[in-house]
Amino acid sequence: MSDYAVSIVSNMGMIAFIALSAYVLLVVGNISFGQQAYFGIGAYISGVVTAMWGWPLWLAIVLGCAVAGSAALVIGTLTLRLSGIYFAIATLSFAEMIRLGLLSVHVQVEIDGELVGPDGAEGFGDIRWIFENDVTPFEFMTIIYVLLIGVLMVLVWVERSRLGAVIRMVGGDPLLAQAQGIDVVFYRLLATVFAGIIAGLGGCLYAHFTTYIEPNVFNVMLGVHSLAYGLIGGLGTAFGPLIGVGLDIGFLEGIRVFQGYRMIVFGGLVAVLLIFMPRGILDEERVHRIKRWLERS
Amino acid sequence: MVDFIQNCIDGVMIGAAYGLLAIGFTIVFGVMRRLNLSFGPSIMLGAFFGTWAFLTLNAAPWMVVIITITGTVITGIYVERLCFWAIRRDATIASMVSSFAVWMQLEEVAILMLPGRTYPFPEMFVSGGLNFGPFFFRAEHLTTLLIAVLMVVGIRLLLYRTAFGLALRAVSESPDAAKYMGVNPSRIIFWAFILVSLIGGVAGYLLLATDQQVTPYFGLWVTFKGLIAMMLGGMGSISGAVIGGLVLGIIETQTQWYLGNAFKDMSAYFVMFLVLVLRPGGLLGQGIVERHDLAFRRV
Repeated sequence: MSDYAVSIVSNMGMIAFIALSAYVLLVVGNISFGQQAYFGIGAYISGVVTAMWGWPLWLAIVLGCAVAGSAALVIGTLTLRLSGIYFAIATLSFAEMIRLGLLSVHVQVEIDGELVGPDGAEGFGDIRWIFENDVTPFEFMTIIYVLLIGVLMVLVWVERSRLGAVIRMVGGDPLLAQAQGIDVVFYRLLATVFAGIIAGLGGCLYAHFTTYIEPNVFNVMLGVHSLAYGLIGGLGTAFGPLIGVGLDIGFLEGIRVFQGYRMIVFGGLVAVLLIFMPRGILDEERVHRIKRWLERS
Repeated sequence: MVDFIQNCIDGVMIGAAYGLLAIGFTIVFGVMRRLNLSFGPSIMLGAFFGTWAFLTLNAAPWMVVIITITGTVITGIYVERLCFWAIRRDATIASMVSSFAVWMQLEEVAILMLPGRTYPFPEMFVSGGLNFGPFFFRAEHLTTLLIAVLMVVGIRLLLYRTAFGLALRAVSESPDAAKYMGVNPSRIIFWAFILVSLIGGVAGYLLLATDQQVTPYFGLWVTFKGLIAMMLGGMGSISGAVIGGLVLGIIETQTQWYLGNAFKDMSAYFVMFLVLVLRPGGLLGQGIVERHDLAFRRV
């Protein structure tokens, strides 16, 4: 594979994490404009752990996910009462606070005569873990995809279990779910924390793949894109968001014909697609039909 | 103290324009229960048409006003047809995503039209200012405030004193019931969109003519400023939108003065988050959230 292909495929993998995180929240009925915050938290924490403290990558990932998950727990608890547009704006406000806050974080240490660490708007460069450990981009891509498949397996397993049915019910009609004796608050929090962890994981990988991060990478656009991926791909299955990511990054980056007009073409395509498939390509109904077809044959 | 009051004055003037944006969001959201993320970008594109005419055709300032507003209205119609009229009524989230997809289109059109980051926007006809004791009123700010007040009064009259306003409120109450009464909801929504684009075009022009520059990011800025102003005041009412806009304007100018530029946006988002957590319905209007809570408590 050429370097260009590797970087595109890796990008798709990393963005898939944040798309899946927005998807998990959509399944429990929450629209979040703020998943980029957990992505950013994961990226910064893991960057600090490997570049400033010199700890191994797996520890950075564990810590990054833990911090992102805890942040999600706090924000999830605070926003429990909210739904719909209220939840969307609350998460947006939180994410923007994180982004603007990171702009004024200056914590640098000197390593080998160079200053390393987050430097506000100047960003956080020299996250050199892949160079120090001689990891080729292709190997790092493999790491990304192994982790992505792991997350997907968890999601598919949940979908097939009773937990999946419960979570779909909480998303479909929380009032009805409550009346059935389901602890709506608990399941919503569970999904929020899980979504935060997935996004954090994506952020950890992103920081080490690009070796340079800055607060403005984690802006609203990233969050709204990740939300859109799930809704374009369909909310019936965890593979929906991947279709969205593939369409946007894979398909359009791949086809260079539309250079300069990429967003006009893509925007138009999505708008037309949503007219005919308002719940995305793989919506609940279509997923159900595919499953039945698979069982019969 | 003089500083504080001067900041409040400036805040109210800028907040008046925010209030207009918030009214735009409130009307569309109230009538359709769907979020139009492309509201800001369509204003941005309208303004880019205006700037383009100003730069290449040497259009006079009054023509820029007309081009900006007409451009916004035309873009608004495009958004309405593609993202709202064509998509099934119950698919609210699909409309939101679709309006986001169109946002990407509009931004790229603007960049293709005028590649680069920042362009000058012609200033208003008025300039200078007015001294009143120790306080200073910028002429642009005074114009903004005056036009905003006139527009709010006009919108109120339109909504509460005309047949169109009655139909619009009926549709926002219940589209089905409105249909039985002989009101065509999609026509009302179409006209509501034109009205909102007009309001947005004027607000956008006022904001840009005060700043005298325009960038493609103006769309993002408008969308989220408008949304926050609407949520701060409380959704679904004109007075809520106006109060939200004014509060947002005052918060921004005060923090910019006392804490510096870095905290200007930060404080706005912080207050927004706090309001949503403590008083989700916004400063006015608690109804929606309370009903929701009550339903849960009954269970």
